[in-house]
Amino acid sequence: MSTNNAAKAIIEFDDQSVRRFMWASIIWGIVGMLVGLLIASQLNFHQLNFNTSFLTFGRLRPLHTNAVIFAFVGNMMFAGVYYSTQRLCKARMASDLLSKIHFWGWQMIIVSAAVTLPLGLSRGQEYAELIWPINIAVTLIWVVFAVNFFWTLHKRNEPSLYVALWFYIATIITIAMLYIVNHLSIPTSWTHSYTVFSGVQNALVQWWYGHNAVAFFLTTPILGIMYYFLPKAVERPVYSYRLSIVHFWSLVFIYIWAGPHHLLNTALPMWLQYLGMFFSLMLWAPSWGGMLNGLLTLRGAWDKLRTDPVVKFFIAAVTFYGMSTFEGPLLSIRAVNALSHYSDWTIGHVHSGAMGWNGFMAAGLFYWLAPRLYGTKLYSTAWANFHFWIGTMGILIYVGAMWVSGIMQGLMLNATNPEGTSLMYPAFLDTLTAIRPLMAARIVGGLLYFCGMVLMLVNLVLTARRGKAVNESREVALLNRGDKDTMPLKDTFINDPIAYMFGGLLLIMGWVFLPPGADIASLVCAGIFAVIAIRKFQQGAQKWSNWYDRLLLNYMPFTVLTFVAVLLGGLIQIIPTVVVNRAQNIEDRIQKVYTPLELAGRDLYVNEGCYNCHSQMIRTMLPDVLRYGDYSRLGESIYDHPFQWGSKRTGPDLARVGSRYAEDWHYKHMLDPRSTSPGSNMPPYAHLYERKFDQKSLPAKIAAMTQLGVPYPAMSGDEIKQKAIEQGIEVVGRLKEKGIAASPDTEIVALIAYLMKLGQYDTPEVEERLTDGTQGLPFPLKPGDPDKFRTSVKPPSLPLPAGQ
Amino acid sequence: MNSAEPSSKSNEPTLRGHVYDGIQEYDQKLPNWWLFTWYITMVWFVIGWLAYYQLGYGRTDHELIGEQMAKIEAVRAKELEAIDDKKLWEMSRTPEVVEAGKATFMATCVACHAADLSAHLAGVKLPGLPLNDTEWKHGGNPTQLMTIVRKGAPDITKGMASWEALGIKKITEVVAFVMSHHKEGEPVTLAADSPLKQGTAPVAAPVAPKS
Repeated sequence: MSTNNAAKAIIEFDDQSVRRFMWASIIWGIVGMLVGLLIASQLNFHQLNFNTSFLTFGRLRPLHTNAVIFAFVGNMMFAGVYYSTQRLCKARMASDLLSKIHFWGWQMIIVSAAVTLPLGLSRGQEYAELIWPINIAVTLIWVVFAVNFFWTLHKRNEPSLYVALWFYIATIITIAMLYIVNHLSIPTSWTHSYTVFSGVQNALVQWWYGHNAVAFFLTTPILGIMYYFLPKAVERPVYSYRLSIVHFWSLVFIYIWAGPHHLLNTALPMWLQYLGMFFSLMLWAPSWGGMLNGLLTLRGAWDKLRTDPVVKFFIAAVTFYGMSTFEGPLLSIRAVNALSHYSDWTIGHVHSGAMGWNGFMAAGLFYWLAPRLYGTKLYSTAWANFHFWIGTMGILIYVGAMWVSGIMQGLMLNATNPEGTSLMYPAFLDTLTAIRPLMAARIVGGLLYFCGMVLMLVNLVLTARRGKAVNESREVALLNRGDKDTMPLKDTFINDPIAYMFGGLLLIMGWVFLPPGADIASLVCAGIFAVIAIRKFQQGAQKWSNWYDRLLLNYMPFTVLTFVAVLLGGLIQIIPTVVVNRAQNIEDRIQKVYTPLELAGRDLYVNEGCYNCHSQMIRTMLPDVLRYGDYSRLGESIYDHPFQWGSKRTGPDLARVGSRYAEDWHYKHMLDPRSTSPGSNMPPYAHLYERKFDQKSLPAKIAAMTQLGVPYPAMSGDEIKQKAIEQGIEVVGRLKEKGIAASPDTEIVALIAYLMKLGQYDTPEVEERLTDGTQGLPFPLKPGDPDKFRTSVKPPSLPLPAGQ
Repeated sequence: MNSAEPSSKSNEPTLRGHVYDGIQEYDQKLPNWWLFTWYITMVWFVIGWLAYYQLGYGRTDHELIGEQMAKIEAVRAKELEAIDDKKLWEMSRTPEVVEAGKATFMATCVACHAADLSAHLAGVKLPGLPLNDTEWKHGGNPTQLMTIVRKGAPDITKGMASWEALGIKKITEVVAFVMSHHKEGEPVTLAADSPLKQGTAPVAAPVAPKS
């Protein structure tokens, strides 16, 4: 094929896959938003839980989030990637078979998620709820997508990689990394597994994943789509190539570090909290780089904003992107987070991103694509405009309501009397009652947005029926082998830009991790090094620029460098937390190991999705301590696979609920929450009272726990089951004292046993004896702990009073 | 890439020569305000980290919460000093105090003890104990009652939760409200299962004033 005179060939693009992904995205989007509407309504009208097991808020909320992220935005991303990659590579997707497997495999994953989540099968980590067999399917399908994509790059007839492709590359490799690490589990049955990480490690890995699912699933691919489709729609050059370079690399590098901002003011070690906060702030400008490149591309074509619905959607989406990426760093400031965390403000934040940025980008994309994919004109521009306006209204109502709700509830929950000695609103329910009107407003906003989506579906179906499916064909010049992908590894890594970046990072990390004295020295060196680097850059800017232009001709080196950029943040934050010796990870307390019955109850807690509304993390803040008791220590969740620190408090924190109520309270509460807590919006859990808890799987579960290092005493399978029932009989006995008859093998008894256990702990000496020094990794490496080096670190000058 | 071939007129930004599927790119300078926003956040990282870790500025969360709780404990102790049975009985006869206590009771305690303090709602027994009779489990003195409200039942798994979070003021008001249903000096009987009677459990004695 490679001759010196460019050979030409006619290429037919695979637009069939694009059409498939487009329809899938719209349909799943509507389904996901419908579920969202239902669960938003459930928050106001508990009757909408229908007193069944599979329609409760706790089970449906994961369905809503997974559907919107992976089904709606996922399929939209694939549609955009398949369409633009083929054109930017001047090549058909490498394999039609892989494209088909990718499409149908992904839809089957979605269907299996839609079945398993309402059945209460869950891993109990947000956006990572799907059970392990589905995890494997997701990984495989993602690999299929990756192979198909990189193979297409390999076969490309356009030597240079356009910025959209950079973002796609970053998406594919980063999501693979995040997904695999966060889903490492030990199966105990076909439908259940325990994550290999526990407590703080699990928290850190989960939010490294969770935050970067937002970054690399909801942001980078959509930015790539923006870089292709926005200039196409407005027919203007992209505002700045230089800005593309700077914001791409800074975005993918910095984003990874920001995960800990989901865990501010918790028991998470301070150095991680500070890294999370500061990197989130440093992320603001790189994010806005993307917004600027989007908005300013429109310069000279602002009139299109009046006439073209596609441009309207794109520009509004980019504006919402700018708004949420300003809000994100703001919420990452510890003082702001003390108010906003666990509240509706966070919910508003993600919805301005998901509905504003993702949803409107999707709408713009589909209104642009559909006429081209069906060789016709859009059925109704007026309808598309109407969609735009009700969508915008919907988002503004929704997000506005959530802002007010979050700030109001946050202020109420944190309000103390002027002396700071007691809470102004000690009853949690008072704060819930206060935000009810706002939770009603969110339904209205969501409904408007949903109607817009349905209108789009109708409009596009009529567009498709007006035309017929067409696959674009083009004559392209075939590329010579030697015109691309020739960069040796040496040139990839050994050059000034890379050397200075790594050197600088190394010195900065020295500053963070080295002991006193060396840290300052490292910082000073970093400063000097930065000056030298800037000098060098000013002298050799053209050389650096030429190197980068060359890099763009080489997809593999580009991919490797991207991978290194996204790998570093996670490594530096997670490795120290995983290998750090146990004593540093437990502080002064160690959780009591769950008995078999309590473990069964905990699995029910996880499966029912209680974490969607209840946290188990009393933050190191006065209002939290006054309301829920002594602040949580790391050791108190050290055996929790998965951790259940939670991210939203629609109900109160449960970290110490065990010492708060008696068994009969829980029994009545779960059967009819309003009997004990008037005004509560919690669903009733009648099904727990009939079903028997799963005794059969307990030995396998405890075996898995033991394998993961939880110090269970040796017990045979029969002993385990017997212990569970014995404890069940104890619980039932105490219920009987209060005149309640229950059976010791029911799920509710197991759940009550778990809830009564919450907040119990031993002192570390007990742990030493139990573990007999066999714990810990055989690692000679002891990473520095910045918190231990803090200059004025001394034991708290005033010990906590007992009883608090 | 056929690297940047400036196609610019002097007043136009540089337009890069390469065309990707019809898309071209300008090569504009990075906006200054944008760059400086970024630089400021970086400097902020350095200053913040230096201040906290190297200069030891600010307290750790643990120090801070320790101090705050110690202060609260001191205030509580002081407030408790002034409170004894006599004072609480007095408060139970002060209408404003009782009104305030009633409001707190209706918001916080009513779910278990019922609005009429009978711990029964429409004939159904609620989780709490009746407070409108003269039979007491943990003692009938106002200070004994107050201790239970503050600390919860001696064995929390069998009784009431701690309501210390209400603060001493609200707690005394609630106690005054409950005691307003009783008379000073009325006969008090201990419940059959009272820990006080068996003398096994810690006696919910009047709180000794601390100094």
